[in-house]
Amino acid sequence: MILFLQSLISGVLIGGVYALIGIGLTIIFGVMRVINFAHGEIMMIGMYMTYFLFTLFGIDPFVSVLITIPLMFAFGALLQKLFINRVLGALPQNQILLTIGLGLILSNSMMLAFTSDYKILTTSYSSSSYRLAGLSVSKPLAISFLITVVITALLYWFLKKTDTGQAIRATAQDREAAQLMGINVKRMSILAFGIGASMAGTAGALISPTYYIFPQVGSAFTLKAFVITVLGGMGSVVGATLGGVIIGVVESMSAAYISSEWKDVVVFAIFLLVLLVKPSGLMGTSRT
Amino acid sequence: MAILEIKHVSKFFGGLAAVSDVSFQLEQGMIMGLIGPNGAGKTTLFNCITGYYPPSRGEIMFNGRTINGLHPDVVCKRGMVRTWQKVRPLAKMSVVDNVMVGALCRTNSLKKAREMAMEQVKVVRLEHRADFPAGGLPIGERKKLEVARVLATQPRLLLLDEVMGGLNPSESEEIIQLILDIRKLGITQMVIEHDMKAIMRISDRVVVLCSGEKLAEGAPQEIVNNPEVITAYLGSE
Amino acid sequence: MNRFSIFINRRGASPVALIAFIVIVCLLIAFPVYVGSPYARHIMILLFLSIIMGESWNIVGGYAGQYSVGHAAYFGAGAYGTMIVINASQFDADKLSELQELAKDSRLSSLLLSAHDLPPWSGIIVGMIAALILSLIIGSICFRLRGPYFVLASIAVAEIVRLTVLNLPDLTQGAEGILISTLPPFTIGSTVITTFNSKIPFYYTGLMLVLITILVTWLVQNSKAGYFFQAIREDQDAAHSLGISLTFYKNSALALSAVLTSLAGSFYAIYIKFIDPTTVLSLDLSVQIVLISIIGGIGTIFGPVVGAVVLVPLAEVLRSNLIGESLISSGMVNADSAFGNFLTENLSHAHVLIYGILVVVVILFMPDGVLGFFKALLAKKRKEAA
Repeated sequence: MILFLQSLISGVLIGGVYALIGIGLTIIFGVMRVINFAHGEIMMIGMYMTYFLFTLFGIDPFVSVLITIPLMFAFGALLQKLFINRVLGALPQNQILLTIGLGLILSNSMMLAFTSDYKILTTSYSSSSYRLAGLSVSKPLAISFLITVVITALLYWFLKKTDTGQAIRATAQDREAAQLMGINVKRMSILAFGIGASMAGTAGALISPTYYIFPQVGSAFTLKAFVITVLGGMGSVVGATLGGVIIGVVESMSAAYISSEWKDVVVFAIFLLVLLVKPSGLMGTSRT
Repeated sequence: MAILEIKHVSKFFGGLAAVSDVSFQLEQGMIMGLIGPNGAGKTTLFNCITGYYPPSRGEIMFNGRTINGLHPDVVCKRGMVRTWQKVRPLAKMSVVDNVMVGALCRTNSLKKAREMAMEQVKVVRLEHRADFPAGGLPIGERKKLEVARVLATQPRLLLLDEVMGGLNPSESEEIIQLILDIRKLGITQMVIEHDMKAIMRISDRVVVLCSGEKLAEGAPQEIVNNPEVITAYLGSE
Repeated sequence: MNRFSIFINRRGASPVALIAFIVIVCLLIAFPVYVGSPYARHIMILLFLSIIMGESWNIVGGYAGQYSVGHAAYFGAGAYGTMIVINASQFDADKLSELQELAKDSRLSSLLLSAHDLPPWSGIIVGMIAALILSLIIGSICFRLRGPYFVLASIAVAEIVRLTVLNLPDLTQGAEGILISTLPPFTIGSTVITTFNSKIPFYYTGLMLVLITILVTWLVQNSKAGYFFQAIREDQDAAHSLGISLTFYKNSALALSAVLTSLAGSFYAIYIKFIDPTTVLSLDLSVQIVLISIIGGIGTIFGPVVGAVVLVPLAEVLRSNLIGESLISSGMVNADSAFGNFLTENLSHAHVLIYGILVVVVILFMPDGVLGFFKALLAKKRKEAA
């Protein structure tokens, strides 16, 4: 029972960060119908940013989110303007290849600059944990979960209540209709990629106290982000949140009850199952 | 003898009936016109008949055998093939290669397929475009290519989905002549068309669909004078 | 004129192209006789490997239009099939008795024991069969999906294969990988064909495989299946309505592509003599396989060749750090300075950067690949001249 609860808690906590990565990917997909294969690499950039803010300026990783979010937003908007924008009408395969190429450039540029050595960000609380009714809860994971909840809530509010947020959602629902209604679709795309990148960057910042930081760390997270968004339904923010938590729990449960070596296999098997049985995902509407 | 029998066919999409309890049959060698306002379920019926999705209810018999649940490729091999309302050229392949793809349904030899394809390319008078990439053709020639490609599969029954849509009068006239020529080859045809004058000219019989249901069936002259059909059309305008 | 008609419509190769092709092949056959440098031969072997990978992917990706980004699975199947069998054939008595002990309750160990009884080179065939079976399983799962979903599914399946190999160390030696110090001699009957004591046998094996894959591609292109593959690529609904069985032809394209890719994997394994899941089963490898064709030009016989000719030397210049070394040896950069250090330490790790830059440039500015781009340029020049 303790093992079950323990894995459930760690699963939910890490699932919060996964959700953040998934939400970013799903917003980008929703607005532009582009699957961003560079998503994990964008997260990796966020990790390095946090690392250097910490080592050079002594800014705590959780505080640095305040700097990471705007910087990563600008970075994402730039990527959209320079590259993604030019292939919006192209074949989906070409869009995928372009983002794969961008991902390779990002990871290899980081390697060029900082080598592929693992970097570790050690804070005073990196390995400390709260004791709670016989369960141990990792302190950095718990804090990052709280921050995730706040950011997700803010994002929901933004998308539901503000005019810009509603324009983004309208664009995601029907690009042409949105354009006819006078929404500046191009601007929405830039916003969407910016938000997507800042979500990924934030996720990177939040996990940097608990993960190794190295240039190739991204691709594993890109794959995870796909699983999460497909599970939740491509384009659905609620779905991605749910998907992130589910995948977090599935991972920690299968690590506890099967073996940690096989946990990713379980995740991918679920992914394939969802693709085959309900490609529209948990919260998605079917698009045929 | 009836080449195609449609018996009480319905198709539902999430509870909504796109086609509802439609029955009629086509005799060998005839041209059947299928008309109706937009959204009447004409293309959905075509999709059911050619196997893009199975009908929710009812039965479709082709050459006396049921074809419910067969895939489009099998239906095509049995001798029934359709064109698309929105033309679908194989853009990067040449005109003759497009038609060869159809011919290869009947032969394994590329040489034979090329000969068969050239024959059909001549039938639709596109021989001057034979080596031209299909993606670069103007709309009128794309429609002709579409017809040549399905003819190359040596069909017994041809379903033409708005082959005159978007064409100018002289191009339409060419297609009408083409349809009449195809009839002379003994190929049965079912034609969806919006141009009433054209449909009345070429059809032996006409079926009218409205909101998924069969509203009327008869010779062109009967249909034109049918008060229900007139209100359906006037009401929809 | 349409670039495909150049290849498809001909009733035989155009004489100029055919002569050029034969001359190039003759030059390649003579190459090791005149160029003794092992490094040059090594580069040529890498080039051949890339061409084989690119041509193999091109059948399913370029002709049939199914962008598999999971081809590492087939490459790995070839590499692991080959290495496991060769390695098993070299077990000594101690290892065998140890295995016999283990085989009582481990099915994988008994599998290894039976691999010991196979002729060492039959591993290549084992790899081909494994790739074939894998492709049929993957095809039956993934081909129900279209476009981006197909791409994602192909990645997921390849990742499952990688993780499985990683987690079955009894059979595959897991993350440690398989290392073979000496290859068994390749014999036909009792005649020894080669003992692999220089790069020459690898060179000619690679060249032979290149010619085989080009021949297979040519045969595909000039067959009914080739037409059907392209029809499916251009518009699968239209193809379906014209009597083409999508399931059959998509799976055939994938199976053929998978078997050829497994040959590339086998060739890689025996040349390098070391494999592990990271080098032969990773997503990075799948991406590299795709890029060779994309950069050269998909759906053409010589697209992957062009792609490999562009990519391999560029990647090699970065990998071997030719730029850095020449700058330092020429005295332009001090080896002990920060920049010199940067050149020697960092640049060589980043050779994949060139793949990234090239693919971005190609997708944005040459959507038909380098080959297509230059063909269009040539056509334009001709038009202007006329």
